[in-house]
Amino acid sequence: MGSSAATDIDGSGGGMEFTDPLELLAVVSRDFASSLDLDVAMARGLTRIVHNLGAEAGSLFLVEPDGRRLACRACVGPVDIAGLYLEPGQGIVGQCVEHNAGEIVRNVEGDPRFHRAVDQETGFKTLSVICAPMTVQDAPIGAVQVLNKRVGGLFGFQDLNTLKVLAHSMGLAIRNARLAAQVVEQERMRRELELASEIQRSLLPKPGPAGSPVIGLNVPAREVSGDFFDYFPFDDGRIYFCLGDVSGKGMDAALLMAKASSLFRALGKTLREPGRLLGRLNAEICETASGGRFITMVIGIYDPRSGVVRMANAGHEPPLLFHRDGSMVDLPATAPPIGIARGVVPGDLFPEQEFGLDGGTLYVFTDGVTEGRMPDGSMLDIKGVTRILGRTAQVPTLALLETVRDMLCRDGAELRDDLTLLAVDDSGPRAARGDRLAVLPQRQDGTPPGEPLLSLRLPALPARLKLIRAAIGEAARSCGCSPKVVHDVVMAVDEACQNVIRHAYPDGAAGDVGVAAFGDGSKLIFDVRDYSPVPVDIAKIQPRDLDDLRPGGLGTHLIREVMDEVAFLQPARGAGNLLRMTKMLG
Amino acid sequence: MEHQITRHDTATVVALRGDVDLESSPRARKILLDALDTAPALLVDMSGVSYIDSSGIASLVESFQTGRANGKRFVLVAVSEPALRVLQLARLDRVFDIHGSVDDALAAD
Repeated sequence: MGSSAATDIDGSGGGMEFTDPLELLAVVSRDFASSLDLDVAMARGLTRIVHNLGAEAGSLFLVEPDGRRLACRACVGPVDIAGLYLEPGQGIVGQCVEHNAGEIVRNVEGDPRFHRAVDQETGFKTLSVICAPMTVQDAPIGAVQVLNKRVGGLFGFQDLNTLKVLAHSMGLAIRNARLAAQVVEQERMRRELELASEIQRSLLPKPGPAGSPVIGLNVPAREVSGDFFDYFPFDDGRIYFCLGDVSGKGMDAALLMAKASSLFRALGKTLREPGRLLGRLNAEICETASGGRFITMVIGIYDPRSGVVRMANAGHEPPLLFHRDGSMVDLPATAPPIGIARGVVPGDLFPEQEFGLDGGTLYVFTDGVTEGRMPDGSMLDIKGVTRILGRTAQVPTLALLETVRDMLCRDGAELRDDLTLLAVDDSGPRAARGDRLAVLPQRQDGTPPGEPLLSLRLPALPARLKLIRAAIGEAARSCGCSPKVVHDVVMAVDEACQNVIRHAYPDGAAGDVGVAAFGDGSKLIFDVRDYSPVPVDIAKIQPRDLDDLRPGGLGTHLIREVMDEVAFLQPARGAGNLLRMTKMLG
Repeated sequence: MEHQITRHDTATVVALRGDVDLESSPRARKILLDALDTAPALLVDMSGVSYIDSSGIASLVESFQTGRANGKRFVLVAVSEPALRVLQLARLDRVFDIHGSVDDALAAD
């Protein structure tokens, strides 16, 4: 034991001197407990040990994360060997760790284990060495070695025993510090995941006001989800919706999800064709490698004014359409998922389908729903989904979605896959539309519906209405119509032209109105069209309840009063909206 | 569209003639509301109306509502066949006070 008056060699000991190994142990342990920095604590502990054993130098080695090599992490004395690496079993330190046993070498010159290279390189002259392993629960942490006793000749076994106790204590402290760091790291990662989860939830659309026709629901299986849905309205009231499922799970699937949903929002604002938008998304996703991941996706546009959905499906589970009468059809994908390769569909145009909901509800969902497990462990599968959603006419849509969710997410049970559902419920909008205007804008096939009687294209201005009325009146009279019928069809065409003048073009913008008349002996057909790229806002020209004396909507009512058939069509050529009115004769 | 205004002691008569359509109805609206402003009662002589559309009907409806709000009589007189057809289609023939002639309408007050 060093019994000479020791000096404070690191400046941190506050002039304290240690002679009692137990006291030293207490101080070293306290240092570790109070230090936030493991390296600082190790250097301080080693300094105290070297100082107290009356030695010239000391070094502390830790086993590297590879579990084999040893690295010098702290040293005290004339030579700095911090950062020195030892191979497994190399030198006295290596042997000490390998055998998990303390070593004492009183004659370095004659010991073959001594690693001479350091002395040769540094000029330090090692005389005697003690070395003790740091081991916790049979796992090697490293070793502490102390060199050259200043006073009293060579190290003795009592010195080694003191070192063993101190080394063991330091080993424990180091292990604990590492565990604490791991906990901190895990906590950091947990917070990051929480943040990611929060960001991802913010990517989902905010629930619309009660009674919104489009609603969705997403339950991630983990903190983050590879599923997504989104929807937003256009100015004209139509609603763009999408639902997608990124293959795989975890953070990289979630990141791809974030990319795809952002692209949908950004590109969807201007690209108002679902098939074309899917093509663009495919091109964008393929442009950057997605690590073998792909996305199944449904994009659609729903028009509450007509109940019509225009939809494209890229490899996704078939959406289900439940009609008002309870019958159901599924709508399988006719194109592959996106993100696999460009050019999987001709012209990057994913095929679209168009259908009227007519008061029914369209459900789009991920396979987390059909493959979800019921309380008894069986899969919900498509039959179960159909059974629940089949009650669509009796139960509010949101309640149905929640029923599906509750069926699959029970307390304590872990979800196997993300769960996402989206519903487009036309029942409310249809009730508002009523039966009066069953509008399914179909493209006019281009063949004239009868013998052409007249065709006009004029600037859409009030001053041109007189001319249009005169021409239509003449055409009707030439077909032998009575004065009353002549008046009625003239009035109907006039009112239809007024709708174009008032609603087809933005304020101040010039545009044309097109009028055509056809006859086939039993009926007269009148086409009135605009040339506007914006689809007609049927809500603006909806017939009003006649108890309501406000003037708007009266024109449309008059049209429907005198005409036998009224239908909105897409013109055969060019952009625009076409109103076809048919008057039966005789 | 042309118009003629005749003032009587108890009412003003506005006679509308020709087409009351999207082009002329803003004018018709102003004529009717102005006349209503100063007259104790307003009679609209529609015998010369060859055509009236929804915007023309809207002008009549607005005048009718304004008159009612101010406690003034608003009467349609000698409504032409095309105008009556539109009023019937709009189910307004039962809403408006309609008389066969100006004299009838004045006498009915």
